[in-house]
Amino acid sequence: MTQALLIALWAGIAALDDLGTQMLRRPLLIAPVVGIIMGNLEMSLLIGATLEVMWMGVGNVGAYSAPDMISGTAIGTALGIASGQVATGVALAVPTSLLAQQLLIVYRASIVSLNPIAHRIADTGDFSKVIRINYIPMIFVFAVRAVPTFLAVYFGAGIIDDVVAALPTFLIDGLGVASKIIPAVGIGILMMQMIHEHILWVFVLAGFTLSVYLGLSVLPVTLISLPLAYLYDLAVLKGNQSHVDINEEDYDL
Amino acid sequence: MKTVENKITKKDLDRVFWRLHILQITNNFESMQAIGFLSTFVPVLERLYADAPKEQKVEAMKRHLQFYNSHLNSNALIIGIAAAVEETTDEEEKDTVTAIKTGLMGPLAGVGDSVLKFTVLPIFGSIGASLAFAGSLMGPILMFVLYNIISMGTKYYGIHYGYSKGMELISKSGNNVLTRLYNFSNVVGLMVIGALIASIVKVNTVFQFTVGENEIVFQELFDKVMPGLLSLLLTTLIYFILRKTNGKHASKLIFGIMVLAVILTYFGVLG
Repeated sequence: MTQALLIALWAGIAALDDLGTQMLRRPLLIAPVVGIIMGNLEMSLLIGATLEVMWMGVGNVGAYSAPDMISGTAIGTALGIASGQVATGVALAVPTSLLAQQLLIVYRASIVSLNPIAHRIADTGDFSKVIRINYIPMIFVFAVRAVPTFLAVYFGAGIIDDVVAALPTFLIDGLGVASKIIPAVGIGILMMQMIHEHILWVFVLAGFTLSVYLGLSVLPVTLISLPLAYLYDLAVLKGNQSHVDINEEDYDL
Repeated sequence: MKTVENKITKKDLDRVFWRLHILQITNNFESMQAIGFLSTFVPVLERLYADAPKEQKVEAMKRHLQFYNSHLNSNALIIGIAAAVEETTDEEEKDTVTAIKTGLMGPLAGVGDSVLKFTVLPIFGSIGASLAFAGSLMGPILMFVLYNIISMGTKYYGIHYGYSKGMELISKSGNNVLTRLYNFSNVVGLMVIGALIASIVKVNTVFQFTVGENEIVFQELFDKVMPGLLSLLLTTLIYFILRKTNGKHASKLIFGIMVLAVILTYFGVLG
C-alpha cells in the first residue's frame, strides 16, 4: 500500500515535470526511484535502461501524443520487480504506456475548454490573473498519471507473481529475447526523422562499423563524428553557395 | 523601430524563465501552447504595458492567445525575441510580433527536435543506459546532470540571448545558422544511431543443423560476414516498415516483435 502510494506520488511528480521543468521525462531517470521504493535498485536500472533505449526516438512531435513513458515506466518497473523478471517489466510497460496515452489525449482534448476562459481573463485586462488558469490543470496532470499508477501497482503487485509463475518458460524467454530486439523500433523512429537523404545512410554505417569492429561506445563515436559533421556541413554550405556567388576563396587552389 | 534604453530588465526575463516551466501545462488540441505562451510572457507585458490603458492590455493579451506551438527549448529563444520586438514596436506595428512568432515557431521546433530530442537526448540516454546495464547508478545520475545542463542552459540563455540579440538573430544569418546546426546534429545523431544498433539491438540465432559430420551454426556464419549483421538488417527492416507506415504503427510493431520473438524462441531459432 505504502509502496503503491509512493510510486503513484512519484509518477504524479514526473507527470508535472514532463509538462513543466522537463528534468526527468525519461524511463532511465524515472525507473531508479521506483526501484528504491520497491527495494530493488539493480533491477530497476535494467528495466529503466531497456525502456530508455526502446523509447529512444519516442516523444511528442507536433500535435502527436506519444505513448506515455511515465506511467509505462513506473508501472512496468514496479511490477517487473514484483515479478522478479526484467522481461515482464518491459512487456508490461508497453501496453500500459498505450492505455495511459489515451488518457493524455483525453486530457489535452478536454482542456480545450480553457481557451474561452483565457479569453475572458484577457478581457479583464489584468495581467496578474493569467497565471491562475494553470493551477487546476496541474491537479489533473498529476492525477492522470498518479491514479492509474496507484491502481495498477496496488492491485497488480499482489497477483503478478502468481501470473508469472504460471506462465510457460518459453514465453518468458521469448519476451526476454524480444526486449533486446525492441530497441530497434526506437532507433528506427529516430532514423525516420533524421534520414531525409539516402546518402546519410553512410553515417549510420560508419557509426555501426566503429562500434562493431573497434568496440567503441557511444561517447567516442560521438567525438569522432564531430569532424565528419563539420565537413558535411561545410560541403552542404559550399554546395549551396557555389552557384549563387563566386567568393574570394576561389583563387585558393 | 526606436532605439531607447532597454525597458525590460534582467529580472523580468528571469521571471519569464521560471514561468517557462508551466508553459506546457495548458497545451491543448485547439490553441496548443497559446495559453502557456501568454502565461510565460506576462512579466514582459506587465513591464511594457504598466501605464497603458485597459484596451491596450486586453489587446496585448489577446495577441498572445493566438495559436502557437514549438519546441519548449526553442520557445525560450522565441520568447526572448518576441520580448525585444514587443519593446521596439509601436501599438500599430504589433502585427509584426505575431508574424515573427508564427514565422519562427515551425523552423525552430524543427531545430529543437533535431538537436535536443534526436541528438542530445539519445546520446546521453545511451551513455546512461550502457552504464545502467552494467548495474551502475552513475548511469541515470550522469544522464540527469548532462541533460539538464544543456536543457536548462538553453532555456535560460535562450531567453536572454533572444532578447539581447532580438531581430539581429533572424534578419542576418539567423536562418543559415539554424540550417547548419541542423546539418551538424544530423550527422552526429546518425553516427550515434549506428553505434547504438551495434551495441544495443541484440539478435542471436541458436539455429543450427548437421550435414553429415559438419555442424552448421548459423550465428557463426553471420558473425564471419560481419559481427552484428542481424541487428543491422533487422533495424533496417524495422526502419523501412516504420517509414512505409509513417511511424503510426510503432506500438503494433513492438507487439508484433514480442509475438514473433516468443514463437521463434519456442521453435529454437532465436535465443
